[in-house]
Amino acid sequence: MYCTSMLLTIQHSAALISLIGALVVVGVVLFLFTTSDQGDEKHEAKKMVYALRGKYFLGLAAVIVVGLVITLGMLPYPKFQTEAPDQTIVVVGSQWSWKMGPGELPAEPKKFKGKSTITLPPGKTIQFLVTASDVTHNFAIYNEQGVLLAQTQAMPGYWNDLRYTFAQGGTFKVLCLEYCGAPHTVMTGKIVVEQ
Amino acid sequence: MTAFNPEDRGRHKKLILTWSITFLVLFPLLIVLGLLMRMNQGEVIKVDNATFYSYMTLHGLGMAGVLFSMAWAAVFYLVGTRYVKLNIGLGYAVFLLVVIGSVGLAVATLIGKFAAGWYMLYPLPFIGATWKAWTTGLAIISLIIMGVAWLIGCLHVVYALSREYGGFTNLIGWQYLGKKPPEKELPPLALIATISLVPGILAFIAGAAMLVMYLLQHLEPSLSFDALVQKNLMFFFGHTLVNITMYCGVGWLYTLLPEFTGREWKLNKLTVYAWNATFFFIVFAYFHHLYMDFVQPTGLQIAGQLASYFSAIPATAVTMFGVIAQLYRSKVKWGVIPTAFLLGVAGWAIGGFAAVVDSTISINKVLHNTLWVPAHFHTYMLMGVVLLILAFLYYLGSTEKNRDLSPKAGFGFWLFVAGAYGFLLMFYLGGMESIPRRFSEYASSGIAHTHDTGALLAKVAALFVALVLIGLLMMYGALFNGLLKKDQAPAK
Ligand code: HEM
Ligand SMILES: [Cu+2]
Repeated sequence: MYCTSMLLTIQHSAALISLIGALVVVGVVLFLFTTSDQGDEKHEAKKMVYALRGKYFLGLAAVIVVGLVITLGMLPYPKFQTEAPDQTIVVVGSQWSWKMGPGELPAEPKKFKGKSTITLPPGKTIQFLVTASDVTHNFAIYNEQGVLLAQTQAMPGYWNDLRYTFAQGGTFKVLCLEYCGAPHTVMTGKIVVEQ
Repeated sequence: MTAFNPEDRGRHKKLILTWSITFLVLFPLLIVLGLLMRMNQGEVIKVDNATFYSYMTLHGLGMAGVLFSMAWAAVFYLVGTRYVKLNIGLGYAVFLLVVIGSVGLAVATLIGKFAAGWYMLYPLPFIGATWKAWTTGLAIISLIIMGVAWLIGCLHVVYALSREYGGFTNLIGWQYLGKKPPEKELPPLALIATISLVPGILAFIAGAAMLVMYLLQHLEPSLSFDALVQKNLMFFFGHTLVNITMYCGVGWLYTLLPEFTGREWKLNKLTVYAWNATFFFIVFAYFHHLYMDFVQPTGLQIAGQLASYFSAIPATAVTMFGVIAQLYRSKVKWGVIPTAFLLGVAGWAIGGFAAVVDSTISINKVLHNTLWVPAHFHTYMLMGVVLLILAFLYYLGSTEKNRDLSPKAGFGFWLFVAGAYGFLLMFYLGGMESIPRRFSEYASSGIAHTHDTGALLAKVAALFVALVLIGLLMMYGALFNGLLKKDQAPAK
């Protein structure tokens, strides 16, 4: 059985941060509702609010800069990947199936011969070179628990280079995450990760 | 200051009523399409895929179009009745063209089953379509008609304002940046409308150019264009349209809220700097829609994240602090209008924050095209823009003496809000659980968790949508009563 090594997925962390943000907003709204009848004979309320603004601005600017520094260090793009890939897999999305397999970049993606199920080794950095033969699709890897692990667009005329390392063995699903016509949801594939 | 005669006021009132009633009729119908989608995803009903995606297409285009049109019309009304003379005939022409475009889209989707999604991602409309070719042509032409109508509408408002306030640089507030105070005060709405509508003008031009290329390929199928360029153009157009809809709403918030709090809300150096910066954030943030196109130049990807992050500064430090300064200890009477304004800004903040999280490239790589995306944009559209529009409509239907309107609206209003947040929460949970967006059903994913959780959340969401609809309709008595009252002097 595959088990996620992370305690909290990126998705859950994002949700948690957003929840905290939402609670702050709700807090401000409740504060305004409950304090509005206090009145302001000396016309100081507005000043009091604006007096806070400088501090808020500095705090926000600091949060933004720290946020940018941390997150921009983790870009998924190939030129930010330090390790050389161990193996290359070509992926071609076509209405409405995936073709995956090792090989050279085909001149005509339409003619690429690949399978919708492939087997890959664990612990190796895989380079997925992804394109489409007709309309735009999106190559997305899900684990058995339904957690989205990585994705890149499959766009006709372009090759997107996605690196991913499967930490452990297991069965992974490929879904199409770009709407590509009525049968969009049936466009799935499978990646079996084993030694 | 331009002199207004009462006759003009009356004509403006008629025009805005035409827009408002059209909005109030179309909005619940578009929600019903959303309800049907949620019910299908929840496996309560079964519609075939082609039909589902035609609903999705009409719902997305319809909502974005109807809300922007209503927001533009509200700006047109307030500007035209308070600051400068506007051409009312042109207002009707825009209305007529938008109606023609909407009918075209409704026919293409509901009758012809056109189903390329709101964004018709190039080259989807032309390859492997399950819909007839004529529907693609009709949808493209309808969108061009609407785009041209909006372009004319925006150009007219900006041009008229700029003549009144002594040129474009004054209109974007630069006369506030000098040492001496400006000769003529610039109302916040004039500044905000300009900062919103000018990117709109750029977006409509880009959109029109792109749609003409679509039309050419539709007429001459041997043509083909670059998919990445088309995608950039489409998202510049779509993102900007939706973004400025929000900012137009903020424009009338600055104008109307002070009437309830009795506190002034005027421009100064800081607000001018903030809104000028916002201009750039509106134009450059759209790059965050292309993060998963790894071949897009990395500089643009990073520009997308920077613009998205920094847009939080003017939005919160200037506008939201402004709202707090308006309301804190203001003894405001919490009638439906100021309540809707405050909650509308709150919805903008909540949805905006979740959007900023999603605009982080290293987070977006696992949230892109999951339900997290409709979660945040539905938050600031439904609980942001729509509440600001409702505040405006209640305002329009009130007179100076009865501004804090109808306690009857109370329950319907709160039901609407509660239902909406329930519906939104299911989208957020879906995103958190990696449920894909734009999936007509979750069974074919072949992943048990995706199917079970996706369908369950959709089912619960459908219940909340029913509350949204009931709440909305309960507000209609008070709304229509106010809007259609004959003998009342037109609202100022
Ligand atoms: C209670 C009201 C609403 C309901 C029930 C609703 C429901 C939905 C649903 C179920 C979807 C499809 C989600 C998916 O990808 O699986 C959707 C998509 C969408 N909705 Fe709404 N919605 C509502 C309000 C709005 C509003 C106010 C807007 C304003 C802009 C809006 C704009 C859109 C857009 C642009 C899409 C994307 C369409 C596409 O992917 O092509 N919706 N909505
Ligand atoms: Cu696909």
